[in-house]
Amino acid sequence: MLTYIVRRLLILIPVLVGVTLIIFSLMHVSGDPVRLMYGPNVPKEKVDEKRIELGLDKPIYVQYGNWINQLLHGDFGRSIHVQDRVSNLIRARIGATLELTLVALVFTLFFSIPIGVVSAVKPYTAFDNVGRIFALFWVSMPYFWLGLVFMLLFGVRLHWLPISGRGGSLWSIAGLRHILLPALTLGLPPLALFMRLVRSSMLEVINEDYIRTARSKGLREGRVVFRHGLRNALIPVVTLLGLRLPWLFGGAVITETVFAWPGMGRLLVDAVTQRDYPVVQGIVLILATLVILSNLLADLVYAYIDPRIRYE
Amino acid sequence: MFGRLRASRRLRRFARNRLALVGLGVVLFVIFLAALASAVSPYNPIEHNYDEILLAPSVRHLMGTDDLGRDILSRVLYGSRYALLIGVAVVLLELAIGATMGFIAGYFGGKIDTVIMRIVDMVLAIPTLILAIAIAGAFGGGLWVMILAIAVAGWGEFSRLVRAQVLSLKELTYVEAVRAVGAGNVRIMFRHILPNSMGPVLVYTTLYMPTAILWSAALSFLGLGAQPPTPEWGSIISDGRSFISYAWWIATFPGLAIMLTTLGFNFVGDGLRDALDPRFDRQM
Repeated sequence: MLTYIVRRLLILIPVLVGVTLIIFSLMHVSGDPVRLMYGPNVPKEKVDEKRIELGLDKPIYVQYGNWINQLLHGDFGRSIHVQDRVSNLIRARIGATLELTLVALVFTLFFSIPIGVVSAVKPYTAFDNVGRIFALFWVSMPYFWLGLVFMLLFGVRLHWLPISGRGGSLWSIAGLRHILLPALTLGLPPLALFMRLVRSSMLEVINEDYIRTARSKGLREGRVVFRHGLRNALIPVVTLLGLRLPWLFGGAVITETVFAWPGMGRLLVDAVTQRDYPVVQGIVLILATLVILSNLLADLVYAYIDPRIRYE
Repeated sequence: MFGRLRASRRLRRFARNRLALVGLGVVLFVIFLAALASAVSPYNPIEHNYDEILLAPSVRHLMGTDDLGRDILSRVLYGSRYALLIGVAVVLLELAIGATMGFIAGYFGGKIDTVIMRIVDMVLAIPTLILAIAIAGAFGGGLWVMILAIAVAGWGEFSRLVRAQVLSLKELTYVEAVRAVGAGNVRIMFRHILPNSMGPVLVYTTLYMPTAILWSAALSFLGLGAQPPTPEWGSIISDGRSFISYAWWIATFPGLAIMLTTLGFNFVGDGLRDALDPRFDRQM
């Protein structure tokens, strides 16, 4: 197992370097940061002075090297528009994003696994067919529109729930009421996807010989389904969970914008529209790192559950 | 001969799937509306009419009007053109990049494969939608910038899929056989592997259309895609967002249009997957 972990970690290094290259080039196509900072009316001498101060007069590989050096020291640079360090801006927002995505994820798993199992145990019944249509329906739904519909229905019309902002701690009533609509918006489409994944994975497992063996030695159906079936069926689901996590972060950006949720996603959208590229770079880098780490985690869990993988 | 038999059996299996047929009907309907948008739209989709602002749906304006007095129905009808254009353009671009890379990686293997797949890993490490947002923003947004941004951010999965297909086909006996009779790389690739890997690629392409439409709508909603006054569904919803509490119709109808279109494609893709899945062949 240890060699496997080390090997997986080593593969990550070129990927991370590549990601920084992609992110660094984004800055360079977005235009001269000094011009963006000063606007068009500032004299050329002042602009040049600032360029030298920021090291923008140096060759591009030196700039990249400097940037990486800063990153390795935990320095993400300064925002162009707000007088603050990028790391401070992100630190203030990352908690809200993680909270939203985690609540949505827990909600997704809590419902998709049982629904998927029932659909697989009783395939092609009314329950399964409704589930199929429901799933296709939800994955066809635009996140931002779903959010608006929820706002209109539960906020504007029924006055049940607040329609924007964060209500403080997750463990308070206000916090819960505020997170409900955004978490539903973010969690329902993956819920639809996952219940079908669990179903198809479960269907495959249920036809395996070892399930027949378990049945024929007289085990109760519940034990067959959950102990022998579900445990094996969840293996591919774990991997897919790791692979689908980026989608959840992407959805979070949209959801946060719709519900004015004070997370990294909204910060990203604001930074993109203001062309505040140091902030964009910082957020994209953090999100990419989170994705890489969760993929790694999924791989490790996979290798732990299924020992064959380790000796590939 | 055999091939044709199998094809017709697949066609019949697709035709028996009611959801898939409904989906096909919806997709054809949207294509029809997009083609005839100028003929069936009751009003000009971008002309302001300050005498009729924020009207609720009525017989005159079936989906109401927006804050500039534009007819929402006409804007939604014209929007179908943009949705289809964007969807097709994104999918074709991603196929061009992704399938080529995947094909080369899978067919030649070795170092080439390793390098290409590491590049894919890098692209996939950044959430597609977020990378697309960052790229579109860096180039200043706009319809074609958005299309390119989504394609550049999203081709990774295509290449993985095509590579996996090519890898599994490459080992089959018939490829060995044609190689043994002296067929060259190019001939094997285009004549024997490419046509046979098309099934899953077709399914994925159909299932990817709705994703491309949803993402483009999201980017336009954020103001990075089609710019006003373009009647693009995402940007109409964005317009309607500020009026959501007293003019629900502006944002609601284009959203329904997006959903209907993506649902149609998803039904078709789902039906294709069932019809083309070779595992079904064996069971029958």
